[in-house]
Amino acid sequence: MNDMLNYMNTEGLKFFGKVNASISHELKNILAIISETAGFLNDLTELAKQGKELKLALLENCSNSIAEEIQRGFTTIKQMNRFSHSVDVPVMEVNLVEILELTAGLSGFLSFASNVRIENKGDDVKTITTCPFLLQNLIYQILCFAYESAGPTGEIRLHLSTENDKGVLLGFFSSAQMPAEKFPDEKIKKAADALGIEFKKNHSFYELNILIPYGCDKIKQAEKSV
Amino acid sequence: MKILLVDDEQKFVNMLAKRMALRGIEADVAYTGEEAIKKAEKTIYDVAVLDIKMPGISGIQLKEKLSPLHANLKFIFVTGHGAIEKLEDEDSGAEKDIYISKPLNIEFLIETIEDLIQAG
Repeated sequence: MNDMLNYMNTEGLKFFGKVNASISHELKNILAIISETAGFLNDLTELAKQGKELKLALLENCSNSIAEEIQRGFTTIKQMNRFSHSVDVPVMEVNLVEILELTAGLSGFLSFASNVRIENKGDDVKTITTCPFLLQNLIYQILCFAYESAGPTGEIRLHLSTENDKGVLLGFFSSAQMPAEKFPDEKIKKAADALGIEFKKNHSFYELNILIPYGCDKIKQAEKSV
Repeated sequence: MKILLVDDEQKFVNMLAKRMALRGIEADVAYTGEEAIKKAEKTIYDVAVLDIKMPGISGIQLKEKLSPLHANLKFIFVTGHGAIEKLEDEDSGAEKDIYISKPLNIEFLIETIEDLIQAG
């Protein structure tokens, strides 16, 4: 079986489950805030019935908070929907910036996630032909590797640049020193291999680089077998 | 009765503290494990209500750091984790911890806190 499909079968479901678990955790937190705020409004109503003064500012704060959390919920569900549909077509043309934004958002639900900033988004659109689901998996794994060092207070910058006709170079720049000697680990290596992605040799403690081809034979073969 | 509420979801924990105050319960809030340790070094709490998944120190790790500070401090874990039964099964401590799933029922939480304090 093709490397890509093989990897998708063995690791894809695990990744799908992991991301969905983190989304459900996020949604539970949102619901918990809405539930407590609604409960507080109920408490205030009961006090008002007993003749206590009802402060309008408190009511306004509560309704604003509920509206904010509903918006946060909508954003989360939109991300969940995009992620779920990323398995619809195994190989397709994708916009790399959109993939990075979605993957950074999904990995942001992890408790140890750092802040992620995507640079040069406005430059020429970087489209490539690949397996979007597996590419998300690879970027997610590399982000997790970087988060381990940077932690929740750190920052990871993602930088895209074209590398002649070979593909797009994606750099992960961390605010903290990373164990570059441990990169890439076996899982990351397998995912990259399935996608025909190369690791650039200029890794440092603060910078990791991968070269994503515009399209490759492995992807074409996988597309045919699907 | 003095309670320490620890959760990185600031709105959640602030609202919970306000609702407890309306019920005559004094509750301090902390948004990180580090902040919780600083508060526990200055104040004696009866019960600590800890979120399990927090950036930095997790709720489980925080319990290990708070326990030596106050021998009588009791713990309740609050979590958005999908399967509480799994967490309870994994709990290998001599004294089983209490896990409550989000969203909370405040009356149930207060009842659980009171039961813990009464049990000594």
